[in-house]
Amino acid sequence: MKHADPPMDEPQLRTASLGWMTAPRAGGLLSAALWLALAAGAAILTHHTLSETARLMLFLLAVLVSAVRYGFWVGVISAAASVLLFNFIFVEPHFSFDIARPESLVTLLVFMLVAGLIGLLAGRLRGQRDDAEERATLLATISEVSRDIASAPTPEAVLNAALTHMTSLTRSPGMVLKDDGHGAQLLLSRPEDRVPGADDLQAAQQALRRGGVEFATAPGWDGSRFTFFPIRAEGAGNYVIGHERIGAPQMDLDYREQAITVIVRQSELALQRLAFAASANDERRKAETESLKATLLSSLSHDLRTPLATILGSVTTLRELGPSLPAPARSDLLMAIEEEAQRLNRYVANLLHMTRLQSGLGAQMSWLDAGDVARAAMLRATRAFPQARIQGDLPEMPMIRGEAALLEQALFNLMENAAKYAPGPITLSGRREGGELVFAVSDTGPGLPENVRMWLNSDRLAAGPELSGLGLPICKGIVRALGGRLSAQTQQPHGAQIALHLPVPSDAMPRG
Amino acid sequence: MSAPSSASSIPQPLILIVDDEPQIQRFLGHALSAAGYECCLAATGAEALHLAEARRPDLMILDLGLPDMNGKAVIERLRLTSALPVIVLSAQDQEMEKIMALDLGADDFVAKPFAIGELLARLRVCLRPRRANPPSDIIRAGSLLIDRSAHEVTRAGLPIRLTPKEFELLIALAQNPGRVMTHRQLLLQVWGPAHVDDVPYLRVFIGQLRQKLENGATGPAEIQTEPGVGYRWMGARNE
Repeated sequence: MKHADPPMDEPQLRTASLGWMTAPRAGGLLSAALWLALAAGAAILTHHTLSETARLMLFLLAVLVSAVRYGFWVGVISAAASVLLFNFIFVEPHFSFDIARPESLVTLLVFMLVAGLIGLLAGRLRGQRDDAEERATLLATISEVSRDIASAPTPEAVLNAALTHMTSLTRSPGMVLKDDGHGAQLLLSRPEDRVPGADDLQAAQQALRRGGVEFATAPGWDGSRFTFFPIRAEGAGNYVIGHERIGAPQMDLDYREQAITVIVRQSELALQRLAFAASANDERRKAETESLKATLLSSLSHDLRTPLATILGSVTTLRELGPSLPAPARSDLLMAIEEEAQRLNRYVANLLHMTRLQSGLGAQMSWLDAGDVARAAMLRATRAFPQARIQGDLPEMPMIRGEAALLEQALFNLMENAAKYAPGPITLSGRREGGELVFAVSDTGPGLPENVRMWLNSDRLAAGPELSGLGLPICKGIVRALGGRLSAQTQQPHGAQIALHLPVPSDAMPRG
Repeated sequence: MSAPSSASSIPQPLILIVDDEPQIQRFLGHALSAAGYECCLAATGAEALHLAEARRPDLMILDLGLPDMNGKAVIERLRLTSALPVIVLSAQDQEMEKIMALDLGADDFVAKPFAIGELLARLRVCLRPRRANPPSDIIRAGSLLIDRSAHEVTRAGLPIRLTPKEFELLIALAQNPGRVMTHRQLLLQVWGPAHVDDVPYLRVFIGQLRQKLENGATGPAEIQTEPGVGYRWMGARNE
């Protein structure tokens, strides 16, 4: 016995198997009776040809067949019946249950013992086979359930997989409800148009509140037809999964109940796993933002320090040592002040953009002519770096959605980066590639360090310590805010190319 | 950088400027030339060590953020062979490095950004030979008079009573006018190597010393605090 007899008002537990001693069914008994009748018929027909012992064997055969096919109880009943039948028909006096000869009594007793033993053993074997089959089915179901639930990418998918497996096990309607803080709300149901009634909702809420299984009421009683199991996943909310009463033909299938328990447990684990993964993801994103901030801060202090030191130093030099400075030195100092003030201005512009993006305001998207923006950025770069040779390759380009100031800053930062590291000519080119507008800044300098190239091609916003300066991280942040991405490659024979990819809206028309 | 021709007859102190930012080198070159110094430039630590050996400068201005090696490492290597005075240029986020550089033997520091006057003042202090005169028994700082042999301190003729430790601390500071003395240097000199980390202790003594030396409302305090770094004796200003 696997567990105690359940109370009568909980019909699901009546599906409990009694192991190998499965209760006899009418069909089994009828078949057993047929087999016995067959044996009796054969025994009567062979009355004159076969000995009594041989005819006895026919009855044993019938008992054996019945026990193997219909289990222990049928076997035992059929053994008892065959003893009576044999006594009635073949033992003197015929057609009476009296026994005249003592040998006949011995024969009958032995027959009874053998038939009983056969029924017992065969029924037990049969029961064990049934158990093994159930276990195999259970294991197969559980492994399938585990696989489906564990690979589900979202909580909805987990619950969906759980519901699918449960309804295929019970072959009855099922539903999943969610605890939304006030009560149970329907989330999923099979069949899909199945809606919980007031009784069902009450039972589901009861299961949620008590944290235990809420069994369906017995047929004919008021109350929910559903048995509800709570699914309590820490950090992922509370759910309840339920199935309608299992129909009578499956009453003996014990493994269903076990499998449902497994489904509920697996769902809880999967939901918890997803919740942990989500919170880990949040943490990772937070850490990335923090590391981006740290990167920007350290680049910032590096980038702002030098112009400030130069300006303050030059101004105080002019003030305190002015008379003893030769004229060329004075004008050189003034030039240094102007250059550094402009450098500061560029950093401040970058900073403002960055602050805006960091504060989550995002870009203010409007229609703009990307070619115009690119030409403006080129002009600005040419003014800022007069020594750099910047060429444009900017044919007619489609209108895109974006923010002009941000796009200009991003392109400017790419050209600034090239001007900083590459002495040769710098090319800004723009072209449409499928659904993307691609601006590329190419130079003939030493190329990109491998880790910088990998960072540019990655999803990461925060650069590693290998990158000093604000230009590229801000460029990346802007491009992301505009819905695009960066890509970088090393050119042959030398030089670097950093490209900015922006989506072209499908309704964009080339300007003409 | 060439020195102004008018001063070429007098040997000019040679200053080695070590900074990787061309803009800083640019204005420092002009400023130091105009102030009457000769300059040579280095952009890396290795170059700096090489020039310190080859040109025998009188002073080194060293930026702590060099591309090839840490400023501290430059000082450590330099101090193996040379007593060349070093002024470090430090940024706000290099506080710890600055203190370590001073403890390793840098003579003073200037925080970026700085006014040129500040750097020139430090430069003059550091170029003043440390042990040119045998340490005299009498140290004067304005109206303050310190007599080392007699263990006496007077302000405008009025005696000030100091404990022996306070007196030692005063001597340690006043012997190095204009120079920053780090907490560690003062603690080591007055209390010994076992107490180099007892900064709160030092603070208490400096507070007592300041109270006793109080100059009324007449002049600036002799002991100036360099936050997080140490103290500087400013009494020499009145000389």
